[in-house]
Amino acid sequence: MGDTSPSAEGTNIEGESPQVEPTIETDEATITDDAELERTIGLTGGLAIGIGTMIGAGIFVFPGLAAGNAGPAAAASFAIGAVVALLVALPASELATAMPKSGGGYYFISRGLGTLAGAVVGLSLWFGLVFATAFYLVGFGFYAVDTLAELGIAVGNELVIPIAVLFGAGFTVLNVTGTENAAKLQNGIVALLLSILVVFLGYGGLDAAGIVGEPSAPEQFAPFGTLPILTTAALVFTSYLGFAQVATVAGEMKDPGRNLPLAMVGSVLIVGVLYVVTIFVSTSALGSDRLAELGETAMVEVGRHYLGAAGAFAIVFGGLLATMSSANASVLSTSRSIYAVSRDALLPQRASRINLRYGTPHVALGMAGGPILVLTATGQVELLAEVASFLHLIMYGLICVALIALRRNEPEWYDPDFRVPGYPIVPALGALASFALIGFMQPASQLIGLAIMLVTAGWYFYYARDVTLKGKL
Amino acid sequence: MTRILVPLAILEGESVSAGLTTLLEPMYVTVLGYHVLPEQTPPDQARLQFEAQATAALEDLAAEFGADDGTADYRLVFTHNKKQTFDRIAAEMRSDAYAIPGATGPVDQLLVALTGDVAVDRIVSFVTELVGDRDIGVTLFLATDDEHAGRELLEAAAVTLFDEGLHVRTELAVDEPPLETLVDAAADHDAIVMGERAPSLRSLIFGEETERVAAESVGPVLVVRNTADRDDTADAADQPSPSDVVDDS
Repeated sequence: MGDTSPSAEGTNIEGESPQVEPTIETDEATITDDAELERTIGLTGGLAIGIGTMIGAGIFVFPGLAAGNAGPAAAASFAIGAVVALLVALPASELATAMPKSGGGYYFISRGLGTLAGAVVGLSLWFGLVFATAFYLVGFGFYAVDTLAELGIAVGNELVIPIAVLFGAGFTVLNVTGTENAAKLQNGIVALLLSILVVFLGYGGLDAAGIVGEPSAPEQFAPFGTLPILTTAALVFTSYLGFAQVATVAGEMKDPGRNLPLAMVGSVLIVGVLYVVTIFVSTSALGSDRLAELGETAMVEVGRHYLGAAGAFAIVFGGLLATMSSANASVLSTSRSIYAVSRDALLPQRASRINLRYGTPHVALGMAGGPILVLTATGQVELLAEVASFLHLIMYGLICVALIALRRNEPEWYDPDFRVPGYPIVPALGALASFALIGFMQPASQLIGLAIMLVTAGWYFYYARDVTLKGKL
Repeated sequence: MTRILVPLAILEGESVSAGLTTLLEPMYVTVLGYHVLPEQTPPDQARLQFEAQATAALEDLAAEFGADDGTADYRLVFTHNKKQTFDRIAAEMRSDAYAIPGATGPVDQLLVALTGDVAVDRIVSFVTELVGDRDIGVTLFLATDDEHAGRELLEAAAVTLFDEGLHVRTELAVDEPPLETLVDAAADHDAIVMGERAPSLRSLIFGEETERVAAESVGPVLVVRNTADRDDTADAADQPSPSDVVDDS
């Protein structure tokens, strides 16, 4: 990472070349020729990013849909998702400690596997995050309508989409004009959510185990067989899309060698356990048929079942906070991923301009916000979630492949502080599991995902085929 | 040579007055140009766009402080948290003091506050070096509840400075609100020297005392760092300097 590293080269169709400077990474700052970049995010901040992005969708939107598809075995679907996420989080941690720079998965893949793979992943990730954000926003819309209902204002589900679109626009504007205390707020929201869930799960767990409350008739664990467990796992994988976002702020994290792996693996473990227990408790409370009827906001009824009106209110409130925090975190990640590819000349460099008045990347935020609003307006919860998962899973699989490629032929600069235990089995399994999960999605989602990848590959050949990034730091 | 850090919000046009440049002539000055970014902007993204602009401004400022004679340099940092940046750079450079720039003309009268639990010896030796053989009057100021001990402390410090050939006056405020009296006393002075104190509950609520003095007195405030405990932590962390880590890549 010193002055001897090769620099990325080649130019895109507009004659721009990748803007990569030799840097020195210390635990406290990143030092370039003439400037220093302070590392300001600690372990708690990293965990909050990971948990804050993940916790929204999974726990509050999916229980109803998942239980309808797979019965009580939906808990197993969530567990499969957690295992896949963990298999990817470990290799991603190693790569992030070897390359603690902004950009995350895109950065590892473009450096490990070359520009084409990098361009496809980088640009697909932009769309992946856009789909994910739209999904979170629709979830938010459902919870907003339920909140109004709890307050005695019945407005009906036709307002879900307008509310979601309105708030999507609101988040974009908020991010352009500056959210000075967003990170502190995010930490607070995550802490609050965790406490709501732990109280709820603690009580529900005791009840489900038959210690308190009335006994309920046990249900068959997997009424629809094994296949729905796997297709449901593919659907709910969107719930785990947050952990790799931690790597996108690697350049801003203090002591990345220690904090990055801990934040990534830690947030997957915490969230995974919470999800599995939540589904278990929910299906024990109401039974999967009833959950399926209730749909996106089934959790509210589960809360009411255990703790009455207070429980319902706590879950509605938690759902609002959680979907909001996920949506906001994803809008931010989207603008960061646009920055990462435009720095490498795969998009016009003006896409990452900052306005001096607010200090925010307004162009990139606009490129995130516009498509998000269009997709939110479709209101297709399952499709949005699956396409988001599809595009992320491609990246996750390729992260594992990039790790194997780098390890087989270790460049001089490759010196991670954290090494994957169980190499090469863990990354190989991570890659296989990621790609396999895609196979269990609805054909429509697979087609849309593939089409997006083809378009991004086409863009690369048209716009930036001369840019070389492989092995360049 | 004593090292002093002069942090400036460089892209917001913050600059130093000619009076401060002259005052700091006997010191080794590091101009710390910083730019605070909102959380949604990666620092590197801002660096790409603003580095050249900021560096040009910093080079000029460092030249004013004597970069050509080797008594000044500059650093440029993009950050989300300016306090963390100041602390890191100060510890890394082992700087003895930092300046909160303010507006002032030529400095003829210096107010030196010894109030509170500060390292009086360090402040006195800092002032000795700062004033040197220049014709700058020094007022030692102390606000205390214990008149007797306060007077003794002031006298002892005044004698040390007097022996170095400085023009010294003393001013003792007994049982009066320390901060307000200090700001009142600052009215007839061109700059203030004060010691950094350990963060207290008060400083957490009302902001750091040094910042509040700087805000109310308009002129520059030079803060002598409380390095006794700071450098221990810096040693414990043992930050490698940039030049040490280049070759391990």
